[in-house]
Amino acid sequence: MAAPANAPGKAEMIDLTKLSPEQLVQIKQEFEQEMTNIQESLSTLHGCKAKYAGSKEALETFQPDWENRQILVPLTSSMYVPGRVKDLNNFVIDIGTGYYIEKDLEGSKDYFKRRVEYVQEQIEKIEKIHLQKTRFLNSVIGVLELKQAAAAKMLQAQQQQSQQAATQSS
Amino acid sequence: MDKNSAALYKKMQTEVESYQNLQKSCVKMVKQRALLESQLNENKCVLDELNLLGPDNKVYKLFGPVLVKQELEDSRQNVGKRIEYISKELKSSSDTLENMEKDMLKHREAVAKYQQQWQVAAAMK
Repeated sequence: MAAPANAPGKAEMIDLTKLSPEQLVQIKQEFEQEMTNIQESLSTLHGCKAKYAGSKEALETFQPDWENRQILVPLTSSMYVPGRVKDLNNFVIDIGTGYYIEKDLEGSKDYFKRRVEYVQEQIEKIEKIHLQKTRFLNSVIGVLELKQAAAAKMLQAQQQQSQQAATQSS
Repeated sequence: MDKNSAALYKKMQTEVESYQNLQKSCVKMVKQRALLESQLNENKCVLDELNLLGPDNKVYKLFGPVLVKQELEDSRQNVGKRIEYISKELKSSSDTLENMEKDMLKHREAVAKYQQQWQVAAAMK
């Protein structure tokens, strides 16, 4: 992941001002596309994190004296059947690719804690890249604006010149 | 348009077409690769988790709607094999992608060449 993150920095040093406005616009569009992708994955990651954190919170509410306690088990989101907590120390967790593991309360909590941390790490990694890309994009936009301003000035100067030439000749 | 430039134009068009086709399959490949990568990641996570388990932890695998109990060692091996397989697929897909990019460059150069020739031919008239 380090290579593509470093590459834009380098490109910034070498080219930017030498590029034509069309090229800059293209780069800008490409980067904007990338940024949207990054945003999307970031929000997915945040969603994942919230899910894991939610599961962990649900486990936190479990008390050791809940054995035989009556609970309502949701069959659908609006229909419940009464049940009893039989086994407080066995939770079956989906760890992905169809595998489920049985863990005790502490182990399950630990699992979700680790998951949340892992996702947080990924979020931080992507946020770093996002920041770098934002900076690069901003410098591209900056150079682009300078170029456009310069072009507009030149056009104006030309027009003035031709106007002056016209008034002189008349 | 005389014969020569018409032929050139036709050649150019076929090049452009094959370039576009390649581009399409390239996009497909990229998507497939992203899928493989995410699968690889998921499997790696699962293996990490399985490696953390002790012999008294029970492991189940989901087959359709039922959970079937699995031996921990078997599951580890299975996931390991899957990681191997996916890594291989990932590598081959990266290779194909690289070749595609090379081909695309060739076609692009060919198009540029024909375009130039065509312009020269047009200017000669």
